[in-house]
Amino acid sequence: MSRAWLAVFAAVILLPLAVRHALASEIWIFAIFGLGLNLLLGYTGLLSFGQSTFFGSAGYVSGYLLKHYGINVFAALGIGVLVGAVSAALVGYLCVQRSGLYFIMLTFALNQMFYFIAYQWTTVTGGEDGMPGIGRPVLLGVDFRQPLAYYIFVALLFLVSLWVMKRIVESPLGKILQAIRENEVRAQAVGYDGARLKLLAFVIGGAFSGLAGVLYAMLFGIVPLEAIGFVFSGNVVFATLIGGSGSLYGPIIGSFVFIWLSESVSVVWARWPLLLGVAFVIVVIFFRGGCVEAWARFWSWRERRRMATRLAS
Amino acid sequence: MLYALMGLGLSLITGILNIPNFAHGALFALGAYFLASTLHVVGNFWLALVLAPVGVAVLGLAIEYAGIRPLYRAGHDYQLLFTFGLSLILSEGIIVVWGPIGFSQLPPPILRGGLDLGFTFYPKYRLFVMVMAGLLVLGTWLFLEKTRYGAIMRAGIEDKEMVSLLGIDIHRLFTAAFALGAYLAGIAGALTAPIRGLSPGMGVDMLGIAFVVVALGGLGNLLGAIAAGLLIGVAQSIVALYWTEASVAVIFAVMAAVLLVRPQGLFGIR
Repeated sequence: MSRAWLAVFAAVILLPLAVRHALASEIWIFAIFGLGLNLLLGYTGLLSFGQSTFFGSAGYVSGYLLKHYGINVFAALGIGVLVGAVSAALVGYLCVQRSGLYFIMLTFALNQMFYFIAYQWTTVTGGEDGMPGIGRPVLLGVDFRQPLAYYIFVALLFLVSLWVMKRIVESPLGKILQAIRENEVRAQAVGYDGARLKLLAFVIGGAFSGLAGVLYAMLFGIVPLEAIGFVFSGNVVFATLIGGSGSLYGPIIGSFVFIWLSESVSVVWARWPLLLGVAFVIVVIFFRGGCVEAWARFWSWRERRRMATRLAS
Repeated sequence: MLYALMGLGLSLITGILNIPNFAHGALFALGAYFLASTLHVVGNFWLALVLAPVGVAVLGLAIEYAGIRPLYRAGHDYQLLFTFGLSLILSEGIIVVWGPIGFSQLPPPILRGGLDLGFTFYPKYRLFVMVMAGLLVLGTWLFLEKTRYGAIMRAGIEDKEMVSLLGIDIHRLFTAAFALGAYLAGIAGALTAPIRGLSPGMGVDMLGIAFVVVALGGLGNLLGAIAAGLLIGVAQSIVALYWTEASVAVIFAVMAAVLLVRPQGLFGIR
C-alpha cells in the first residue's frame, strides 16, 4: 500500500465531511472521467477533444433504460460502460488513422455530430431541456436516494476504476502505449500495430467515460444536453492538464480543483464560464505542467534551498 | 460560400500556425455583433460591413501577439486549452455585452425583398452574400496565389524552418496569418447577421462546421477548404429541403463518410 493510495483513501473518507455529498460524488465521477481521458492524453499522447461523446451517450442510453424500463443499477452501469466503449470504437476508428491537429479536430467534429443528434432527437433526449426523471433504484435493500449511500457507491466505483487503471498502465499494454507516445514509428518498427493499440486505448478510455456518464446521470437525475457538448469535453481536458497529465493521480487532483473552481465561481457570477475561461488562460500561461509538476518543482526548490543553507553554514 | 470563407480562414490558421483554433467560432460571432453595433453607431451598413471584420482582425492580431505567440513550443494540449478558454471568454463576453437573447438584423434597404430570377424567387440579400463571399474567397485565393506575401504564406505552410532560414520574420508571418484568418471569420459573421440573426450560440455552431470543412479539405490545403465548404453547403441545403432536423448532423455524416474512404480528406496529400 503506497502513500498515494493512503492519500486517496483518506480523501474518499474525509471529503463527504467537508463538502456536500452531491458535490463529493461529482468530484469522484469527474475523476473517473479524467482517468479515462488520461489514458489517452497522458499515456498514449492522444489529445481527444471529444470525450463527452461517450460520457453523454452512455448517460442517455442508460438513463433512458432506467427511466422507462426501471433496469437494475448494475445493468445500467454495465450498459453505460458498453455504450461508452462502442461509441469510442466508432469514433476512434475514424480518428486514430490521423495524428496531431487532425486527430483533435476529428474528435471534436464527431463530438459535434453526437451533440446535434442529441439536440434534434427531442422525443428521446429531450433536446435542449435534457432528459429528466432518471431514478436511482434500490439495490440489495440500500436506498441510493440517500446522498451518503450514493456517495459511498460512487466512491467505491471510483476506487475500483483507479485500481483497474493502475493495472492497465502498469501492464505490458500500458508500457506499449507509452512507447507509442514517445515514438510511434519506433514502436511500430518493433512490431506493435500502432493504430490498433491506439484504438484499444480509445475504447478503454470510452468505457471509463461511459461509467462516469451513467453515474453522473443518476447523481443529478437528469442528462443535460451539456453532458454531450464540447465544453464538457474541454473541461475534462482542463481538469486532466491542471492535475498533471503525466501522472496516474493527476486527473484526480485536477477533478478536485476543477469542480471546486467551477462551484466557487458559479456562485459569484451568472456568467461564470467567462471566469473559467480566464482560469484556463492563466493556467496555460503560468502553470503549464499542472499541480503534480508544480508540487514537484516546489519540493525540488525547497531541497535546493536546504542544500544551499547547509553549504553556507 | 460562407462555409468556404470560414474554412479558408481556419485552414490558414491551422496550416500556418499549426495550432487548433477553437476561438474561430467566437471570432465569427464577434464579427456579427460588431456589425450590429457599428451599424447602430455609424448608421451605414456598408461602412459597418467594412469596419466590423477589421475590428475582429485587430482583435485577432492582439490575441496572437499576446497569447498564442508564447505557446508555439507548448504542445497542442496547451494551445487547445488556451484557444478554448479564449472562446469561453469571448462567447460569455458577448452575453455580458449584448445580452443572452438573440436578435435579428435587417439587411440594408436596397437589399431587402426578393429578386425574380425567372425560374425561382430569391431573397436579394442572400444573393448579395453569395456574390460577396465568392469575391472574398476569390480575392483571398488570388492574394495567396499571385502576390509575394501570399507566396510566403503558402511557403510557411509547407516548411516553416526553410522560410525563416530565407530571412523572413516567421513571427510576423504568423501574426499576419492569424489576423487574416480572423478577418475572414469576422466578415463571414458580419455577412451572416442579416440572414440568421444574432445569438450567442452562433459561434459554436459555426466552429464545428469550420473544422469539418478543414478536415474534409485537407489541413492547410486552401483550395481544398474552398471546395469542401461548397460541398458541405450544397449537401446541407439539399438535405434541409427533405429533412430539416437532420441538416446539421448531415454535415458531420458527410465528413465521416468521406474520411472512411479517404482518411486524408478530399484533397489531402498526407
